[in-house]
Amino acid sequence: MSQVAASGANSFFSGKPLRFIAATILLVNGMFPALWILFTSLKTEAELTVKPITWLPHTPTLANYMQAFSDQPLHVFLFNSFMVALLSTCLTLLVSVLAAYALARLNLKYRGLILSLIIAVSTFPLVTLLVPLFEIMRALNLLNTWIALILPYTVLSLPVCTLMLVSFFEGIPRDLENAAMIDGCTRMGALFKVVVPLCAPGVFTAGILAFVNAWDEFLLALSFNSNPALRTLPVGIQLYQGEFAFPWPVISAALVVGIVPVAILIVIFQERVVSGLTSGGIKG
Amino acid sequence: MLDLSDRALAVLLLAPAAILLSLIIVYPVLRLLYTSFFSLSLTSGLPAEFVGLENYQLMIEDPVFWETTWNTVLITLITVPGALFVGLGLALLANLPFGMQWPVRLSLLIPWALPLSFAGLIFAWFFHSEYGVVNDVLARFGFPGVIWFNSPNLAFAAICLTIVWKTSSFMALIILAGLQTIPRSLYEAADVDGAGRIRQFFEITLPLLKPAIVVALIFRTITALQTFDIPFMMTGGGPGTSTATLAMYIHQNTVSFLDLGYGSALAVVMFALSMCVTAVYLRIIRTKE
Repeated sequence: MSQVAASGANSFFSGKPLRFIAATILLVNGMFPALWILFTSLKTEAELTVKPITWLPHTPTLANYMQAFSDQPLHVFLFNSFMVALLSTCLTLLVSVLAAYALARLNLKYRGLILSLIIAVSTFPLVTLLVPLFEIMRALNLLNTWIALILPYTVLSLPVCTLMLVSFFEGIPRDLENAAMIDGCTRMGALFKVVVPLCAPGVFTAGILAFVNAWDEFLLALSFNSNPALRTLPVGIQLYQGEFAFPWPVISAALVVGIVPVAILIVIFQERVVSGLTSGGIKG
Repeated sequence: MLDLSDRALAVLLLAPAAILLSLIIVYPVLRLLYTSFFSLSLTSGLPAEFVGLENYQLMIEDPVFWETTWNTVLITLITVPGALFVGLGLALLANLPFGMQWPVRLSLLIPWALPLSFAGLIFAWFFHSEYGVVNDVLARFGFPGVIWFNSPNLAFAAICLTIVWKTSSFMALIILAGLQTIPRSLYEAADVDGAGRIRQFFEITLPLLKPAIVVALIFRTITALQTFDIPFMMTGGGPGTSTATLAMYIHQNTVSFLDLGYGSALAVVMFALSMCVTAVYLRIIRTKE
């Protein structure tokens, strides 16, 4: 109560009008671009070229969605994006669980050095490796395959996931594992039967971050997979634009289709994602 | 029961990560340096030829290299502080005592989760000269419409705005997490001492947020140096090469021209730029410990 009484300014800062304004700014800033694309995707070509432009669609239509799927193999792009993201996430989790366990539990001599290396790698600009990775994938005949993307995407998320998991694992009491090992579990058995299940929320959070990273990546996907049948969504969406025409309603529909899967993930797991992002960010 | 010593087990557990990192980072870095000393163009069909520093020589004399590097540095210098200020503002707003937390959280998460390339396309549509919402809003306030992507400066401004929008929400999430760890009692004590809100902000909030902000800034700087998706989608680097970034120039030389030697030399420059930032980062972390 003393706070409110303290000064007039304070009552403004904690007052209802300010909260209303703040909420409006936050929501418009965060949601407007996605909403605008949704509106555009529901407009007819005729409505789109009316001036002044309309905001809400007057005669909403799903025709653009039909066209998005018939003009280009949008379902193939979705499938490619989904599989590449899913497989690289699984690989990232497997590799980082193992590495994080070693760093959290085994008394390594070079632990500090390895952690510094991981932090350094987490800031690594993957763009600079475009040429050598292109050469390597070309030499291994991996251009236009999922693997050409899965491997770099795994490395992209590996450092952050490992650092996150190290801090989660360190929060699990050693006694639990020791008990399991006395009961005849091997260390690996204890890892997968005791530690990982106890850290399931953390492992899951790391997985979401890795998935979103892979789902978003554009440059490598653009450079390594030119075959339309293997394009991921961000790269495939470019195919909608013709030489001169830019069919915005159809592109918008394709964008909405691409946003929905991750949006669902974010809506369901928002608290977890925020805690994962911020712990990763603060600890590096 | 297979009972390995801790040391052998550690080696075994770290091996997959080490193999992946060697294949995707260590070997490519070495290969990058190596290729940058060769003339290697896949279109000519000629075998790689050692040319010493010729690629670097070419680069220094290449006005497009300087232009794209300058654009990259400029984007970094504008959008990193831009994202910090906008992000700080958003975080302060989001930290108000709202009845419902999830809409606020979601409005910060959606821009983060939106792929950069999607953000580029969406904002290209926003800034469309005929049917874009930006020109529509300008018209409602009586301003004439602007053809954003015909002028180098306006196109550059549109790109920077888009990058700031896309990246500020991540900044806001990090800062918001920092804000929520500041104990209320500090502010209560300051109230008792008669310190106003503004003084409290500069003397309590900002200093306590500093560690979180520094880390977020460094990550943002390194990703800003790699800017590719948003200008690629919005302008394709145009008009001319006025909004092209170093990453776009590397991509063009590598994938379109298949000039791997020159592309490598360009990438070495970007590598060096970002290593400088990483060095600063590691130093800060070490002094913190």
